Amino acid sequence: MKIKIWILTLLLVLAFGENVRAAETLSVDIFGPGQTRVNILVLPARGVNGQAATSLARSFGEYVQGDIGFLPFLRLAYLTEVLGGDPSKGLKADDIDFKPLQLSRIDLILTIGGSGADIEARVYETFTRKLLVGKAYSQVDQGGVAHVADRFCAQLMRVLTGKSGFFDSTLAFSKKVNGGKELFIASALGRGLEQVTHDGGFDVSPSWSKDGRKLAYTNISDLGHRLGIWDRSSRVSRLRRFPGNIAISPTFTPDGQIAISLSLNGHPDIYLLNSEFQAGSALAPSWGISVSPSFDLSGRKMVFCSGRLGGPQIFILNRDTGVVDRVTYEGTYNTRPSLSPDGRFVVFARLTDSGNRIFIRDLVVNQERQISFGPGSDEDPSFDPDGYFVSFASSRAGGTKIYVTTRYGDPARLIPTGPGDAMAPAWGVAAALD
Amino acid sequence: MNAKRMFALMLMLCMVVALGAGCAKKTTDSMPAGATKVEISDKDTDWQKPAPAPETRSLSEDEIRAQQREMAQREVGNMIFFAFDSFELTPESRNVLTSKAETLKKYALFNIVIEGHCDERGTSEYNLALGERRAKASQQFLNQLGIDTARTTIVSYGKERPLDPGHDEAAWSKNRRDEFKIQN
Repeated sequence: MKIKIWILTLLLVLAFGENVRAAETLSVDIFGPGQTRVNILVLPARGVNGQAATSLARSFGEYVQGDIGFLPFLRLAYLTEVLGGDPSKGLKADDIDFKPLQLSRIDLILTIGGSGADIEARVYETFTRKLLVGKAYSQVDQGGVAHVADRFCAQLMRVLTGKSGFFDSTLAFSKKVNGGKELFIASALGRGLEQVTHDGGFDVSPSWSKDGRKLAYTNISDLGHRLGIWDRSSRVSRLRRFPGNIAISPTFTPDGQIAISLSLNGHPDIYLLNSEFQAGSALAPSWGISVSPSFDLSGRKMVFCSGRLGGPQIFILNRDTGVVDRVTYEGTYNTRPSLSPDGRFVVFARLTDSGNRIFIRDLVVNQERQISFGPGSDEDPSFDPDGYFVSFASSRAGGTKIYVTTRYGDPARLIPTGPGDAMAPAWGVAAALD
Repeated sequence: MNAKRMFALMLMLCMVVALGAGCAKKTTDSMPAGATKVEISDKDTDWQKPAPAPETRSLSEDEIRAQQREMAQREVGNMIFFAFDSFELTPESRNVLTSKAETLKKYALFNIVIEGHCDERGTSEYNLALGERRAKASQQFLNQLGIDTARTTIVSYGKERPLDPGHDEAAWSKNRRDEFKIQN
């Protein structure tokens, strides 16, 4: 009996011991109430066996620090904050004195080593000395070092938050070219910028299919509105005309159908197209304008913009019940909604006295807050696949550019998209990087 | 009697001389110094002479059509404007459209494209729908005046093609418009 109790006690201690250790591992709840900020210190890159760092490793470090700047839950600490300066003699835990780091409230430390075309990077948690992320990359060249840094930060974000959609997804957007607009794609950090359409006229309102293989968009020319579908594998786009005068805001549903605003009965309503591109019955029909559908991950909830009660406001359709509820009551001009994948939050543009601003509404607690603050006009908000980041177009610095904030309204960061105005960003789960 | 007749004759002669001297003086005074003297001649001019006849050549059908197209575009080209977030036709717009209807009846061969445009304040997708409503308002009004809708095509550009790139009400009011273009 005593032996049994001993064994049980030992098992419990082991079990709790594991739990305590697990709980000690640093994690960041990016969706929790009130965000915590974790201090991370990137140590200067080192060479092997005391040699000087390679320029490749140094630029890897610079790109990583740039990437970390996009993650509002991380704060880049400086070496001057550490008592006694650099506490490391090498790249691994045994070569690092964690005590001054703990005293300086540094939570994470990143070491970078490089030799020739190889790079290795490690992130340690200073309080447990535990290795959180350790990666080695070989055959890296200067042209690919930014992508490698992005991959490493994606892994770091995944370990800390369980999400990495920001780095793993592709942004599609509309950009001014030769007096018209064409579609471009790039990573969320603007890397791998590529023009994907050459239709002429204006290509606007891109939307990714859930698998990231197709882009739906509107082409406007003297021929009228056409629905464009760009196929990622064939790199070809096809344009289709519909009866009526419009083909506005095509959006993929999670099951691969396209919802689009057509004017089949004399006024813009939202229709679902079947695989033959034929429209079924209108979703939430009305006599007013209905555009900009956006779906949650189940595809059963659809938010949209409608002028059915006068000025444009945001509404939500429950496709199971057919019930349409009004979402926005403040402001007289609320447009271009985007629904978070979990169906809880709606971001949208509201016309204020200072121009359009991005607002977010929590549909569960029915609360609303502003998350972009101009100047200029902030438009076209779009959730990332995790429902954490929100991209939008803004004219705050003169021409229109794409910025990213979070659903908490963190300071907006510019996403580099090259010269020329860029707008209408759409996040897709398509892998931006190999 | 003879003396009386002689006196009257002398008097008339003096008056003629005085009149002639007076006229000459007036002419001299009316010419300011430095002015250019212009001689006026009453001789016949060549006004009545016919101008050389232009080379007579009958216009081809295409050229006539191009001329008519240009005239029709000139007559139909003036725009109409809207209030913010509105597709309601103002009385002034109705007058403009009424005159367009007459033009379209006159040039029955031509069809038109009605372009709906918006200002930059609204967002892109809603503006595309609003632009369509604006163009449709014109189409319906013209239809009421007897212009078959088959002769009018609608394209909404939303806020993609502003007439005035400015960022104030003066620019916005110009950009909220319908444009009319001869199609064929």
